[in-house]
Amino acid sequence: MNARANQQESPPPDTLMGWALDKAQCGILLLDQRLCIAYANPWLLNRALMSSGDLLGRPLFDAFPELGQTRFHDVLLRTQSSGFPALLSESLHPSPFPLWPPSLARQRPPERRLRQTLHIVPMAPPLATQLGQRHTLIQISDVTPATRREDLLRAQADKLHAMAYVDGLTGIGNRRQFDHMLRREWRDAARHGRRVALVLFDIDFFKQYNDQYGHQRGDECLRSVARLVESVAQRPRDVACRYGGEELALLLPDTDAEGASRLAHQVLGALRDLGIAHAGSPVGQLRLSAGVASLAPLDSEEPYELIRLADRSLYEAKQSGRDRVGPGHSAGPDAAPVG
Amino acid sequence: MKLNDIELDALAEVFNLGVGQAAHALSQLAGEPVQLSVPKIALLTADEISAQVVDPRSPRVCAVRQGFSGEIATEAVLMFPEEQSLLLVQIMVGDSVPLDQLSEMEQEALAEIGNILLNSVVASVADTLGIRLEGSLPEVQVGSSQEVLRDDNRPSSEPLLSLQIRFDIDARQIQGYLAFLLDMESGDTLERRIGDFIAGVTRNTT
Repeated sequence: MNARANQQESPPPDTLMGWALDKAQCGILLLDQRLCIAYANPWLLNRALMSSGDLLGRPLFDAFPELGQTRFHDVLLRTQSSGFPALLSESLHPSPFPLWPPSLARQRPPERRLRQTLHIVPMAPPLATQLGQRHTLIQISDVTPATRREDLLRAQADKLHAMAYVDGLTGIGNRRQFDHMLRREWRDAARHGRRVALVLFDIDFFKQYNDQYGHQRGDECLRSVARLVESVAQRPRDVACRYGGEELALLLPDTDAEGASRLAHQVLGALRDLGIAHAGSPVGQLRLSAGVASLAPLDSEEPYELIRLADRSLYEAKQSGRDRVGPGHSAGPDAAPVG
Repeated sequence: MKLNDIELDALAEVFNLGVGQAAHALSQLAGEPVQLSVPKIALLTADEISAQVVDPRSPRVCAVRQGFSGEIATEAVLMFPEEQSLLLVQIMVGDSVPLDQLSEMEQEALAEIGNILLNSVVASVADTLGIRLEGSLPEVQVGSSQEVLRDDNRPSSEPLLSLQIRFDIDARQIQGYLAFLLDMESGDTLERRIGDFIAGVTRNTT
Protein backbone atom coordinates (compact mmCIF):
# COMPACT_ATOMS: atom_id res chain seq x y z
CA MET A 1 0.00 0.00 0.00
CA ASN A 2 2.74 2.31 1.07
CA ALA A 3 4.97 1.31 -1.84
CA ARG A 4 2.13 2.00 -4.21
CA ALA A 5 1.53 5.43 -2.79
CA ASN A 6 5.21 6.24 -3.29
CA GLN A 7 5.07 5.07 -6.85
CA GLN A 8 2.16 7.34 -7.63
CA GLU A 9 4.00 10.32 -6.16
CA SER A 10 7.08 9.77 -8.33
CA PRO A 11 7.28 12.36 -11.11
CA PRO A 12 7.43 11.12 -14.70
CA PRO A 13 10.98 10.21 -15.77
CA ASP A 14 11.29 13.12 -18.21
CA THR A 15 10.61 15.66 -15.47
CA LEU A 16 13.01 13.88 -13.17
CA MET A 17 15.79 13.79 -15.79
CA GLY A 18 15.15 17.40 -16.74
CA TRP A 19 15.52 18.42 -13.13
CA ALA A 20 18.74 16.40 -12.78
CA LEU A 21 20.28 17.98 -15.90
CA ASP A 22 19.27 21.43 -14.63
CA LYS A 23 21.16 20.82 -11.43
CA ALA A 24 24.17 18.87 -12.77
CA GLN A 25 27.58 20.40 -11.95
CA CYS A 26 29.01 20.00 -15.42
CA GLY A 27 28.09 21.36 -18.82
CA ILE A 28 25.71 19.36 -20.95
CA LEU A 29 25.12 20.20 -24.56
CA LEU A 30 22.98 18.14 -26.94
CA LEU A 31 23.35 18.54 -30.69
CA ASP A 32 21.05 17.28 -33.38
CA GLN A 33 22.23 15.66 -36.56
CA ARG A 34 22.90 19.02 -38.28
CA LEU A 35 25.00 20.06 -35.27
CA CYS A 36 22.39 22.54 -34.08
CA ILE A 37 21.99 22.96 -30.34
CA ALA A 38 19.04 20.94 -29.04
CA TYR A 39 19.71 21.54 -25.35
CA ALA A 40 22.16 23.34 -23.07
CA ASN A 41 21.93 23.01 -19.31
CA PRO A 42 22.02 25.94 -16.85
CA TRP A 43 25.58 25.12 -15.69
CA LEU A 44 26.79 25.80 -19.23
CA LEU A 45 24.52 28.81 -19.84
CA ASN A 46 25.69 30.53 -16.64
CA ARG A 47 29.35 30.09 -17.53
CA ALA A 48 28.90 31.17 -21.16
CA LEU A 49 26.65 34.05 -20.09
CA MET A 50 24.04 32.99 -22.59
CA SER A 51 20.36 32.20 -22.36
CA SER A 52 18.55 29.18 -23.71
CA GLY A 53 17.01 31.48 -26.30
CA ASP A 54 20.50 32.48 -27.51
CA LEU A 55 21.45 28.90 -28.16
CA LEU A 56 18.52 26.61 -28.93
CA GLY A 57 18.24 25.69 -32.57
CA ARG A 58 21.42 27.57 -33.48
CA PRO A 59 24.25 25.78 -35.29
CA LEU A 60 26.98 25.06 -32.74
CA PHE A 61 29.75 26.73 -34.75
CA ASP A 62 27.56 29.78 -35.22
CA ALA A 63 26.87 30.07 -31.49
CA PHE A 64 30.56 29.45 -30.61
CA PRO A 65 32.48 30.62 -33.70
CA GLU A 66 35.93 30.16 -32.13
CA LEU A 67 35.34 26.38 -31.96
CA GLY A 68 35.33 26.21 -35.76
CA GLN A 69 39.11 26.51 -36.06
CA THR A 70 40.02 23.95 -33.39
CA ARG A 71 40.66 20.25 -33.25
CA PHE A 72 37.31 20.01 -31.45
CA HIS A 73 35.70 20.64 -34.82
CA ASP A 74 37.54 17.74 -36.49
CA VAL A 75 36.93 15.42 -33.57
CA LEU A 76 33.21 16.19 -33.49
CA LEU A 77 32.90 15.42 -37.21
CA ARG A 78 34.86 12.20 -36.78
CA THR A 79 32.61 11.00 -33.94
CA GLN A 80 29.69 11.69 -36.25
CA SER A 81 31.08 9.51 -39.01
CA SER A 82 32.60 6.72 -36.89
CA GLY A 83 29.97 6.62 -34.17
CA PHE A 84 32.74 6.19 -31.58
CA PRO A 85 32.91 8.53 -28.57
CA ALA A 86 35.91 10.80 -28.07
CA LEU A 87 37.71 12.57 -25.26
CA LEU A 88 39.45 15.94 -25.44
CA SER A 89 41.83 16.34 -22.53
CA GLU A 90 42.72 19.61 -20.88
CA SER A 91 46.46 18.99 -21.26
CA LEU A 92 46.17 18.91 -25.04
CA HIS A 93 43.33 21.45 -25.45
CA PRO A 94 43.16 23.63 -22.34
CA SER A 95 40.02 25.62 -22.89
CA PRO A 96 37.88 24.92 -25.98
CA PHE A 97 34.63 26.62 -24.91
CA PRO A 98 34.53 30.31 -23.88
CA LEU A 99 33.46 29.67 -20.29
CA TRP A 100 34.19 31.57 -17.07
CA PRO A 101 33.22 31.23 -13.42
CA PRO A 102 29.69 32.71 -13.21
CA SER A 103 30.90 35.67 -11.11
CA LEU A 104 33.41 36.64 -13.85
CA ALA A 105 31.36 35.69 -16.92
CA ARG A 106 30.78 39.37 -17.72
CA GLN A 107 34.41 40.60 -17.46
CA ARG A 108 35.85 37.45 -19.08
CA PRO A 109 39.44 37.81 -17.82
CA PRO A 110 41.53 35.55 -20.10
CA GLU A 111 43.51 34.02 -17.23
CA ARG A 112 40.33 32.88 -15.49
CA ARG A 113 38.80 31.09 -18.47
CA LEU A 114 37.76 27.62 -17.33
CA ARG A 115 40.02 24.68 -18.11
CA GLN A 116 37.93 21.89 -19.60
CA THR A 117 37.82 18.23 -20.33
CA LEU A 118 35.30 17.31 -23.02
CA HIS A 119 33.54 14.04 -23.67
CA ILE A 120 31.78 13.72 -27.01
CA VAL A 121 29.33 10.85 -27.27
CA PRO A 122 27.34 10.19 -30.44
CA MET A 123 24.03 8.43 -30.00
CA ALA A 124 24.02 4.68 -30.55
CA PRO A 125 22.40 3.53 -33.82
CA PRO A 126 19.27 1.80 -32.39
CA LEU A 127 18.14 4.92 -30.52
CA ALA A 128 19.15 7.16 -33.42
CA THR A 129 16.97 5.06 -35.73
CA GLN A 130 14.09 5.31 -33.28
CA LEU A 131 14.40 9.11 -33.08
CA GLY A 132 14.95 9.50 -36.81
CA GLN A 133 18.34 11.21 -36.36
CA ARG A 134 21.57 10.82 -34.46
CA HIS A 135 22.11 13.27 -31.61
CA THR A 136 25.42 13.96 -29.94
CA LEU A 137 26.11 14.61 -26.28
CA ILE A 138 28.93 16.94 -25.29
CA GLN A 139 29.83 16.88 -21.65
CA ILE A 140 32.06 19.68 -20.37
CA SER A 141 33.87 19.24 -17.05
CA ASP A 142 35.57 22.13 -15.28
CA VAL A 143 39.04 20.84 -14.34
CA THR A 144 40.46 24.26 -13.37
CA PRO A 145 41.08 23.28 -9.71
CA ALA A 146 42.92 20.11 -10.74
CA THR A 147 45.13 21.96 -13.23
CA ARG A 148 45.93 24.65 -10.59
CA ARG A 149 46.94 21.92 -8.16
CA GLU A 150 49.14 20.26 -10.74
CA ASP A 151 50.73 23.54 -11.85
CA LEU A 152 51.66 24.15 -8.23
CA LEU A 153 53.01 20.64 -7.83
CA ARG A 154 55.04 20.98 -11.01
CA ALA A 155 56.44 24.35 -10.00
CA GLN A 156 57.60 22.83 -6.72
CA ALA A 157 59.05 19.82 -8.48
CA ASP A 158 60.93 22.17 -10.86
CA LYS A 159 62.29 24.10 -7.87
CA LEU A 160 63.38 20.96 -6.05
CA HIS A 161 64.86 19.62 -9.23
CA ALA A 162 66.86 22.81 -9.77
CA MET A 163 67.99 22.80 -6.12
CA ALA A 164 69.13 19.21 -6.39
CA TYR A 165 71.43 20.17 -9.26
CA VAL A 166 73.09 23.24 -7.76
CA ASP A 167 76.19 23.24 -5.59
CA GLY A 168 75.25 24.97 -2.35
CA LEU A 169 78.62 26.66 -1.82
CA THR A 170 79.49 28.02 -5.25
CA GLY A 171 76.06 28.32 -6.87
CA ILE A 172 77.23 26.57 -10.04
CA GLY A 173 76.15 23.04 -11.02
CA ASN A 174 77.03 20.18 -8.69
CA ARG A 175 78.41 16.73 -9.45
CA ARG A 176 74.94 15.37 -10.21
CA GLN A 177 74.44 18.14 -12.75
CA PHE A 178 77.83 17.38 -14.25
CA ASP A 179 77.09 13.66 -14.62
CA HIS A 180 73.69 14.43 -16.12
CA MET A 181 74.99 16.99 -18.62
CA LEU A 182 77.99 14.87 -19.56
CA ARG A 183 75.74 11.93 -20.42
CA ARG A 184 73.43 14.19 -22.40
CA GLU A 185 76.16 15.97 -24.36
CA TRP A 186 77.97 12.68 -24.96
CA ARG A 187 74.84 11.12 -26.43
CA ASP A 188 74.18 14.18 -28.52
CA ALA A 189 77.76 14.36 -29.79
CA ALA A 190 77.66 10.66 -30.70
CA ARG A 191 74.42 11.17 -32.63
CA HIS A 192 75.66 14.18 -34.59
CA GLY A 193 79.29 13.10 -34.96
CA ARG A 194 80.53 16.11 -32.97
CA ARG A 195 83.11 16.39 -30.22
CA VAL A 196 82.80 17.24 -26.55
CA ALA A 197 85.58 18.91 -24.59
CA LEU A 198 86.19 18.86 -20.87
CA VAL A 199 88.46 21.05 -18.75
CA LEU A 200 89.15 19.99 -15.16
CA PHE A 201 90.49 22.73 -12.86
CA ASP A 202 92.19 22.05 -9.57
CA ILE A 203 93.27 24.76 -7.11
CA ASP A 204 97.00 24.44 -6.35
CA PHE A 205 97.94 23.92 -2.69
CA PHE A 206 94.33 24.38 -1.60
CA LYS A 207 94.79 22.33 1.57
CA GLN A 208 97.60 24.65 2.63
CA TYR A 209 95.37 27.64 1.89
CA ASN A 210 92.65 26.28 4.16
CA ASP A 211 95.20 25.52 6.88
CA GLN A 212 96.70 28.99 6.67
CA TYR A 213 93.60 31.18 6.26
CA GLY A 214 90.79 29.02 7.59
CA HIS A 215 87.88 27.34 5.84
CA GLN A 216 85.78 30.47 5.46
CA ARG A 217 88.47 32.13 3.35
CA GLY A 218 88.87 28.80 1.53
CA ASP A 219 85.17 28.84 0.68
CA GLU A 220 85.50 32.38 -0.65
CA CYS A 221 88.34 31.27 -2.89
CA LEU A 222 86.27 28.44 -4.27
CA ARG A 223 83.46 30.86 -5.00
CA SER A 224 85.84 33.24 -6.80
CA VAL A 225 87.30 30.46 -8.93
CA ALA A 226 83.80 29.11 -9.68
CA ARG A 227 82.79 32.58 -10.92
CA LEU A 228 85.84 32.71 -13.20
CA VAL A 229 85.13 29.27 -14.67
CA GLU A 230 81.48 30.13 -15.12
CA SER A 231 82.33 33.41 -16.88
CA VAL A 232 84.05 31.57 -19.75
CA ALA A 233 81.09 29.16 -20.19
CA GLN A 234 79.38 31.56 -22.56
CA ARG A 235 77.53 29.47 -25.10
CA PRO A 236 74.07 28.24 -24.06
CA ARG A 237 75.19 24.63 -23.58
CA ASP A 238 78.57 25.26 -21.94
CA VAL A 239 78.36 24.11 -18.34
CA ALA A 240 80.50 24.89 -15.29
CA CYS A 241 80.17 22.48 -12.36
CA ARG A 242 81.86 21.74 -9.08
CA TYR A 243 83.31 18.31 -9.75
CA GLY A 244 84.86 17.52 -6.38
CA GLY A 245 86.26 19.32 -3.30
CA GLU A 246 88.50 21.90 -5.00
CA GLU A 247 88.01 20.58 -8.51
CA LEU A 248 85.81 22.36 -11.03
CA ALA A 249 84.74 21.10 -14.43
CA LEU A 250 83.94 22.96 -17.61
CA LEU A 251 81.98 20.96 -20.17
CA LEU A 252 82.14 22.35 -23.71
CA PRO A 253 80.03 20.74 -26.44
CA ASP A 254 81.26 20.95 -30.02
CA THR A 255 84.74 22.15 -29.00
CA ASP A 256 88.20 20.84 -29.91
CA ALA A 257 91.16 20.55 -27.55
CA GLU A 258 92.62 23.81 -28.81
CA GLY A 259 89.48 25.80 -28.09
CA ALA A 260 89.14 24.22 -24.65
CA SER A 261 92.81 24.98 -23.86
CA ARG A 262 92.28 28.60 -24.82
CA LEU A 263 89.42 28.92 -22.32
CA ALA A 264 91.49 27.13 -19.65
CA HIS A 265 94.32 29.64 -20.15
CA GLN A 266 91.77 32.46 -19.89
CA VAL A 267 90.62 31.23 -16.49
CA LEU A 268 94.18 30.81 -15.21
CA GLY A 269 95.03 34.30 -16.44
CA ALA A 270 91.97 35.82 -14.80
CA LEU A 271 92.87 34.22 -11.47
CA ARG A 272 96.42 35.59 -11.78
CA ASP A 273 94.91 39.04 -12.36
CA LEU A 274 92.90 38.74 -9.14
CA GLY A 275 96.18 38.24 -7.30
CA ILE A 276 94.79 36.42 -4.27
CA ALA A 277 97.62 36.05 -1.73
CA HIS A 278 98.59 32.50 -0.74
CA ALA A 279 101.55 32.34 1.64
CA GLY A 280 101.58 28.54 1.52
CA SER A 281 102.28 28.45 -2.22
CA PRO A 282 105.77 28.76 -3.77
CA VAL A 283 104.54 31.62 -6.02
CA GLY A 284 102.86 33.41 -3.08
CA GLN A 285 99.51 33.61 -4.88
CA LEU A 286 96.50 31.39 -5.42
CA ARG A 287 96.90 29.54 -8.73
CA LEU A 288 95.17 26.81 -10.70
CA SER A 289 96.14 23.80 -12.77
CA ALA A 290 93.94 22.53 -15.59
CA GLY A 291 93.60 19.35 -17.63
CA VAL A 292 92.08 19.40 -21.11
CA ALA A 293 90.54 16.70 -23.29
CA SER A 294 88.30 16.61 -26.34
CA LEU A 295 86.67 13.53 -27.84
CA ALA A 296 84.36 12.61 -30.66
CA PRO A 297 82.47 9.76 -29.00
CA LEU A 298 82.41 6.36 -30.61
CA ASP A 299 79.31 4.23 -30.10
CA SER A 300 81.11 1.80 -27.86
CA GLU A 301 82.75 4.40 -25.64
CA GLU A 302 81.54 5.56 -22.26
CA PRO A 303 81.67 9.25 -21.33
CA TYR A 304 84.14 8.35 -18.54
CA GLU A 305 86.79 8.09 -21.23
CA LEU A 306 86.62 11.88 -21.53
CA ILE A 307 87.07 12.29 -17.76
CA ARG A 308 89.97 9.87 -17.80
CA LEU A 309 91.80 11.85 -20.48
CA ALA A 310 91.16 15.23 -18.83
CA ASP A 311 92.31 13.76 -15.53
CA ARG A 312 95.53 12.54 -17.13
CA SER A 313 96.19 15.98 -18.60
CA LEU A 314 95.56 17.54 -15.16
CA TYR A 315 97.98 15.07 -13.58
CA GLU A 316 100.61 16.01 -16.16
CA ALA A 317 100.07 19.71 -15.40
CA LYS A 318 100.56 19.05 -11.70
CA GLN A 319 103.63 16.88 -12.33
CA SER A 320 105.32 19.50 -14.48
CA GLY A 321 105.07 22.19 -11.84
CA ARG A 322 101.41 23.26 -11.42
CA ASP A 323 100.02 26.72 -12.35
CA ARG A 324 99.58 25.64 -15.94
CA VAL A 325 97.29 23.96 -18.47
CA GLY A 326 98.11 20.33 -19.28
CA PRO A 327 98.47 18.99 -22.82
CA GLY A 328 95.14 18.81 -24.65
CA HIS A 329 94.40 15.11 -25.04
CA SER A 330 92.29 14.48 -28.04
CA ALA A 331 90.79 11.62 -30.00
CA GLY A 332 88.51 11.41 -32.97
CA PRO A 333 88.56 13.27 -36.31
CA ASP A 334 91.43 15.79 -36.73
CA ALA A 335 92.92 14.82 -33.40
CA ALA A 336 96.30 16.34 -32.70
CA PRO A 337 97.91 16.97 -29.33
CA VAL A 338 97.75 20.58 -28.28
CA GLY A 339 100.24 22.10 -25.88
CA MET B 1 40.79 -18.17 -31.77
CA LYS B 2 42.99 -19.42 -34.57
CA LEU B 3 44.34 -17.40 -37.47
CA ASN B 4 46.72 -18.56 -40.15
CA ASP B 5 49.57 -16.51 -41.59
CA ILE B 6 47.53 -15.22 -44.53
CA GLU B 7 44.81 -14.06 -42.16
CA LEU B 8 47.31 -12.39 -39.83
CA ASP B 9 48.95 -10.66 -42.81
CA ALA B 10 45.59 -9.39 -44.01
CA LEU B 11 44.81 -8.07 -40.52
CA ALA B 12 48.24 -6.44 -40.26
CA GLU B 13 47.46 -4.50 -43.43
CA VAL B 14 44.12 -3.34 -42.06
CA PHE B 15 45.70 -2.34 -38.75
CA ASN B 16 48.41 -0.39 -40.55
CA LEU B 17 45.71 1.58 -42.37
CA GLY B 18 44.11 2.35 -39.02
CA VAL B 19 47.31 3.52 -37.31
CA GLY B 20 48.06 5.66 -40.37
CA GLN B 21 44.93 7.70 -39.73
CA ALA B 22 45.73 7.92 -36.02
CA ALA B 23 49.25 9.11 -36.84
CA HIS B 24 47.81 11.96 -38.87
CA ALA B 25 45.63 13.10 -35.96
CA LEU B 26 48.45 12.69 -33.43
CA SER B 27 50.85 14.70 -35.63
CA GLN B 28 48.40 17.61 -35.63
CA LEU B 29 48.12 17.33 -31.88
CA ALA B 30 51.87 17.15 -31.28
CA GLY B 31 52.72 19.82 -33.84
CA GLU B 32 55.41 17.55 -35.26
CA PRO B 33 55.39 14.38 -37.33
CA VAL B 34 54.27 11.30 -35.42
CA GLN B 35 54.80 8.00 -37.18
CA LEU B 36 52.97 4.87 -36.14
CA SER B 37 53.66 1.37 -37.32
CA VAL B 38 52.64 -2.17 -36.44
CA PRO B 39 55.84 -4.21 -36.56
CA LYS B 40 54.25 -7.35 -35.20
CA ILE B 41 50.83 -8.92 -34.97
CA ALA B 42 50.34 -12.29 -33.28
CA LEU B 43 48.04 -14.46 -31.23
CA LEU B 44 49.55 -14.57 -27.75
CA THR B 45 48.37 -15.56 -24.29
CA ALA B 46 48.13 -12.89 -21.61
CA ASP B 47 51.33 -14.21 -20.03
CA GLU B 48 53.22 -14.03 -23.29
CA ILE B 49 52.06 -10.45 -23.84
CA SER B 50 53.07 -9.51 -20.29
CA ALA B 51 56.53 -10.88 -20.88
CA GLN B 52 56.87 -8.56 -23.89
CA VAL B 53 55.39 -5.41 -22.38
CA VAL B 54 57.00 -5.44 -18.99
CA ASP B 55 60.29 -3.75 -18.52
CA PRO B 56 61.91 -5.35 -15.45
CA ARG B 57 62.97 -1.89 -14.27
CA SER B 58 59.40 -0.57 -14.32
CA PRO B 59 56.98 -3.46 -13.84
CA ARG B 60 53.86 -1.30 -13.96
CA VAL B 61 52.01 -0.60 -17.15
CA CYS B 62 49.68 2.26 -18.08
CA ALA B 63 46.74 1.09 -20.12
CA VAL B 64 43.99 2.85 -22.02
CA ARG B 65 40.99 0.60 -22.44
CA GLN B 66 37.83 0.97 -24.42
CA GLY B 67 34.92 -1.39 -24.81
CA PHE B 68 33.33 -2.01 -28.20
CA SER B 69 30.05 -3.83 -28.66
CA GLY B 70 27.65 -4.82 -31.41
CA GLU B 71 28.21 -7.79 -33.64
CA ILE B 72 31.39 -8.38 -31.66
CA ALA B 73 32.07 -7.57 -28.01
CA THR B 74 35.65 -6.70 -27.24
CA GLU B 75 37.69 -4.76 -24.81
CA ALA B 76 40.63 -3.11 -26.59
CA VAL B 77 43.57 -2.54 -24.25
CA LEU B 78 46.48 -0.31 -25.27
CA MET B 79 49.41 -0.74 -22.88
CA PHE B 80 52.69 1.06 -22.28
CA PRO B 81 55.41 0.32 -19.76
CA GLU B 82 54.91 3.15 -17.23
CA GLU B 83 58.18 4.84 -18.17
CA GLN B 84 57.19 4.88 -21.84
CA SER B 85 53.78 6.34 -21.04
CA LEU B 86 55.50 9.20 -19.17
CA LEU B 87 57.76 9.85 -22.13
CA LEU B 88 54.87 9.75 -24.60
CA VAL B 89 52.77 12.22 -22.62
CA GLN B 90 55.79 14.43 -22.03
CA ILE B 91 56.49 14.60 -25.77
CA MET B 92 52.86 15.19 -26.70
CA VAL B 93 52.14 17.76 -23.97
CA GLY B 94 55.59 19.35 -24.06
CA ASP B 95 56.16 19.75 -20.34
CA SER B 96 59.67 20.06 -18.97
CA VAL B 97 60.31 17.96 -15.87
CA PRO B 98 58.21 14.81 -15.72
CA LEU B 99 57.01 13.58 -12.35
CA ASP B 100 57.50 9.93 -11.38
CA GLN B 101 53.94 9.05 -12.24
CA LEU B 102 51.33 10.34 -14.60
CA SER B 103 49.29 13.06 -12.89
CA GLU B 104 45.53 13.10 -13.15
CA MET B 105 45.59 15.52 -16.09
CA GLU B 106 48.38 13.59 -17.80
CA GLN B 107 46.35 10.40 -17.48
CA GLU B 108 43.59 12.19 -19.33
CA ALA B 109 46.04 13.18 -22.04
CA LEU B 110 47.08 9.54 -22.33
CA ALA B 111 43.39 8.59 -22.50
CA GLU B 112 42.96 11.01 -25.41
CA ILE B 113 45.99 9.66 -27.25
CA GLY B 114 44.72 6.11 -26.70
CA ASN B 115 41.23 7.11 -27.76
CA ILE B 116 42.52 8.46 -31.08
CA LEU B 117 44.51 5.31 -31.74
CA LEU B 118 41.86 2.80 -30.62
CA ASN B 119 39.03 4.52 -32.50
CA SER B 120 41.05 4.62 -35.73
CA VAL B 121 42.27 1.06 -35.49
CA VAL B 122 38.91 -0.42 -34.57
CA ALA B 123 37.07 1.69 -37.16
CA SER B 124 39.45 0.49 -39.83
CA VAL B 125 38.89 -3.17 -38.92
CA ALA B 126 35.13 -2.72 -38.57
CA ASP B 127 34.85 -0.94 -41.94
CA THR B 128 37.00 -3.46 -43.78
CA LEU B 129 35.29 -6.52 -42.35
CA GLY B 130 31.82 -4.96 -42.40
CA ILE B 131 31.23 -5.28 -38.67
CA ARG B 132 28.86 -2.86 -36.95
CA LEU B 133 30.22 -1.64 -33.62
CA GLU B 134 29.56 0.94 -30.93
CA GLY B 135 32.30 2.24 -28.71
CA SER B 136 32.70 3.44 -25.15
CA LEU B 137 34.82 6.24 -23.71
CA PRO B 138 38.44 5.46 -22.81
CA GLU B 139 39.55 4.64 -19.28
CA VAL B 140 43.07 4.67 -17.93
CA GLN B 141 44.27 1.85 -15.74
CA VAL B 142 47.66 1.67 -14.04
CA GLY B 143 48.86 -1.61 -12.61
CA SER B 144 50.61 -4.85 -13.41
CA SER B 145 50.06 -6.21 -16.89
CA GLN B 146 48.38 -9.29 -15.37
CA GLU B 147 45.80 -7.05 -13.71
CA VAL B 148 45.27 -5.08 -16.87
CA LEU B 149 44.81 -8.16 -19.07
CA ARG B 150 42.71 -10.12 -16.61
CA ASP B 151 39.51 -11.32 -18.18
CA ASP B 152 37.12 -13.63 -16.37
CA ASN B 153 35.12 -14.31 -19.53
CA ARG B 154 37.74 -16.51 -21.11
CA PRO B 155 40.29 -19.16 -20.20
CA SER B 156 43.73 -17.64 -19.66
CA SER B 157 45.28 -20.19 -22.03
CA GLU B 158 43.21 -18.76 -24.91
CA PRO B 159 45.41 -16.54 -27.09
CA LEU B 160 44.61 -12.86 -27.60
CA LEU B 161 44.94 -10.93 -30.81
CA SER B 162 47.81 -8.59 -30.01
CA LEU B 163 49.81 -5.97 -31.87
CA GLN B 164 53.01 -4.23 -31.17
CA ILE B 165 52.66 -0.54 -31.95
CA ARG B 166 55.66 1.69 -32.47
CA PHE B 167 55.55 5.48 -32.14
CA ASP B 168 58.34 7.46 -33.77
CA ILE B 169 58.30 11.07 -32.60
CA ASP B 170 61.13 13.57 -32.69
CA ALA B 171 63.85 10.91 -33.12
CA ARG B 172 62.45 9.01 -30.13
CA GLN B 173 60.78 5.64 -30.12
CA ILE B 174 57.97 4.48 -27.91
CA GLN B 175 56.71 0.93 -27.83
CA GLY B 176 53.10 0.14 -27.04
CA TYR B 177 51.05 -3.04 -27.16
CA LEU B 178 47.46 -3.41 -28.12
CA ALA B 179 45.49 -6.49 -27.08
CA PHE B 180 41.89 -7.35 -27.83
CA LEU B 181 40.00 -9.21 -25.13
CA LEU B 182 37.32 -11.15 -27.00
CA ASP B 183 34.94 -13.69 -25.58
CA MET B 184 34.78 -17.06 -27.36
CA GLU B 185 31.71 -16.19 -29.42
CA SER B 186 33.16 -12.88 -30.61
CA GLY B 187 36.43 -14.62 -31.42
CA ASP B 188 34.54 -17.05 -33.64
CA THR B 189 32.65 -14.24 -35.35
CA LEU B 190 35.85 -12.32 -36.02
CA GLU B 191 37.54 -15.43 -37.37
CA ARG B 192 34.63 -16.04 -39.74
CA ARG B 193 34.59 -12.42 -40.95
CA ILE B 194 38.29 -12.47 -41.65
CA GLY B 195 37.82 -15.71 -43.59
CA ASP B 196 34.96 -14.14 -45.58
CA PHE B 197 37.03 -11.04 -46.26
CA ILE B 198 40.00 -13.00 -47.58
CA ALA B 199 37.71 -15.21 -49.69
CA GLY B 200 36.14 -12.02 -51.10
CA VAL B 201 39.51 -10.49 -51.93
CA THR B 202 40.71 -13.72 -53.55
CA ARG B 203 37.52 -14.00 -55.59
CA ASN B 204 37.85 -10.43 -56.81
CA THR B 205 41.46 -10.80 -57.86
CA THR B 206 41.13 -14.12 -59.70
